[in-house]
Amino acid sequence: MAKTVEKLLKKENLDKLITSVKADGGRWIAPVTDARQVVFKAVTKHEDMASDYILARNSYKEVLFPQTEVIAEYSVSREGSEMHGVELTPAETVVFGARPCEAASLKSLRSVFTWDFIDEFYTKREEKLIIITVACTKADEACFCTTVNISPESTEGSDIYLKETVSGDYLAHGATEKGKAFMAKHGNTFENAPKDAQTKKLVMPEEINGIDLDKISERLKKTGHYEDHVWAELTRKCIGCGACTYVCPTCHCFDITDEGTAIEGERRKNWDSCQFDAFTLHASGHNPRDTQFKRWRNRFMCKMHIYPEKFNSTGCVGCGRCVRVCPVRLDITEVMEALSK
Amino acid sequence: MENILRKKAKELLETGAVKVVIGYGWNRSKTRTTPVFITKPEDADRLVFNPLCVNNLSVYLTRKFKDIQALGKPAIIAKGCDIKNIVVLITEAQLQREDVFIIGMVCEGTVYKQELWKGELLPQIMPTKCHNCGVRNPHVADVIIGEKSTFVPPEKPTGMVFDKIKDIDSKDQSARWGFWINEFSRCVKCYACRQVCSLCYCERCIAEKNMPQWIETSAHPRGNLSWNLTRAMHLVGRCTFCGECERACPVNIPLNLINQKMILVVKDAFNFESGYDEKTHPPMIVFSPDDKDNFIK
Repeated sequence: MAKTVEKLLKKENLDKLITSVKADGGRWIAPVTDARQVVFKAVTKHEDMASDYILARNSYKEVLFPQTEVIAEYSVSREGSEMHGVELTPAETVVFGARPCEAASLKSLRSVFTWDFIDEFYTKREEKLIIITVACTKADEACFCTTVNISPESTEGSDIYLKETVSGDYLAHGATEKGKAFMAKHGNTFENAPKDAQTKKLVMPEEINGIDLDKISERLKKTGHYEDHVWAELTRKCIGCGACTYVCPTCHCFDITDEGTAIEGERRKNWDSCQFDAFTLHASGHNPRDTQFKRWRNRFMCKMHIYPEKFNSTGCVGCGRCVRVCPVRLDITEVMEALSK
Repeated sequence: MENILRKKAKELLETGAVKVVIGYGWNRSKTRTTPVFITKPEDADRLVFNPLCVNNLSVYLTRKFKDIQALGKPAIIAKGCDIKNIVVLITEAQLQREDVFIIGMVCEGTVYKQELWKGELLPQIMPTKCHNCGVRNPHVADVIIGEKSTFVPPEKPTGMVFDKIKDIDSKDQSARWGFWINEFSRCVKCYACRQVCSLCYCERCIAEKNMPQWIETSAHPRGNLSWNLTRAMHLVGRCTFCGECERACPVNIPLNLINQKMILVVKDAFNFESGYDEKTHPPMIVFSPDDKDNFIK
């Protein structure tokens, strides 16, 4: 087993660390309470960060893939038209307080944004990203990471993996080279860990017995499942909003739109959702996913079939955000269970 | 109450009076209710009714749900507040009264959001609409289930929404503007407010019309303002204050404030409240030669 580097990050040193990151022109993103919910936002001091939370309502993916961003600007004049792309020079961004489940989504996002075309708007940001995960000491009934082979002990995707100590500090483990370098750079805040440091007990969500990922995968490989009654029966209640896709740490679809006048304007990259009926609407008027359950089926296919088959990565990390946010309480695990039969 | 409901649903399906019963059922762990579509009489026992039945199921009667319409004539389990939306759908010619069998449920209130439920329906976890509800005994229904409610709504509407409207109204214009710009800044353009609303039944929403792009899809201040205000305007004189948009909003935008404010404005100007009578058309969609205002003639 590789030698692990464990350090102690004292809570009282967090402000020093935040200040130090910001002094270099960086951003510190952490869960804060805003409008009666916990969300990832830029913070300047540690006391603004939420401590008692399961996980933030939004995923930190918006740090890498903003909900709306300008990718080019255009202008038209008598002399001709001009269009130039936006050059991105992102600052170092530290995401503090992510959970192991969402940290694991990084590989999935990367696989999409670097697959056939290297999306520099994503990759340049990822190069400057440090994910500091805090392992879970709380869970709720929507959490199901253990069912999709992830757990509060998973370090995949984390640059630095923290466990809370009984005294309220953090035991830090550098999980990637980037993470180790960050810890070395800020060596005055990462102290040598005492040998007897006691960490809080991690909470493992109970595995959902009836779910068998291999069976689901087998079933989805055969196109015959398209006619399966399961889809309509379990998911016709979906109302077709994009809430699940927008809080999901692995959903990544976007649309390109031009805003401005005929003289000048900007081209934007905006989040889009496969749950919207216009998502697959053809110019002819034909829509291959003409009812909502077919759109829902597509999202499920994306997570449980396309991601694993095409990218060898997990499409669903079991964070449960889609379950919590759904206005009709459509629980993805209930569909997983039905398809495991 | 549930037994009578299940019996009625079973009977309706057995006799073929309806092909589907749209109602509420439990999730796997029986901690939350979720919409269910019962098509077989033997499945009627899955139906439940309790204060967690927050969803306004009337959305499933709209033309957005072609696959549900394809099942055949529906029966719908509806609280008085949900029935108000069905009434609006009828007045707006989206539905004929005989197209749907309404199973009206006497209701003593629901929770504002299901996650607030701790086993008891306390006043502080009920939404403002329940505290002022005049339709706890369903006003339009084919059958009414439950013991008659004796609740009398207060003469002057009370509750958090009304208090906040009063508070916002007391501020000057720039403060009001600041308040809404800040609230809308969180909008993520997921359109859950639109999708959960049974009165947002357009198959092609103006937000999806992109030649030209009337409403910017970007979740920036301008795009968020134009979306939220456009939707509010489209609901004037129609919204019944069912509260589904605010409940569905993943970023907690207080949409109830806008909608209830509009209801107060319409009541003041036209002495009209939507959702009570399927024979009276909402003021924004009628032309009358007897209109008391001259500018329209």
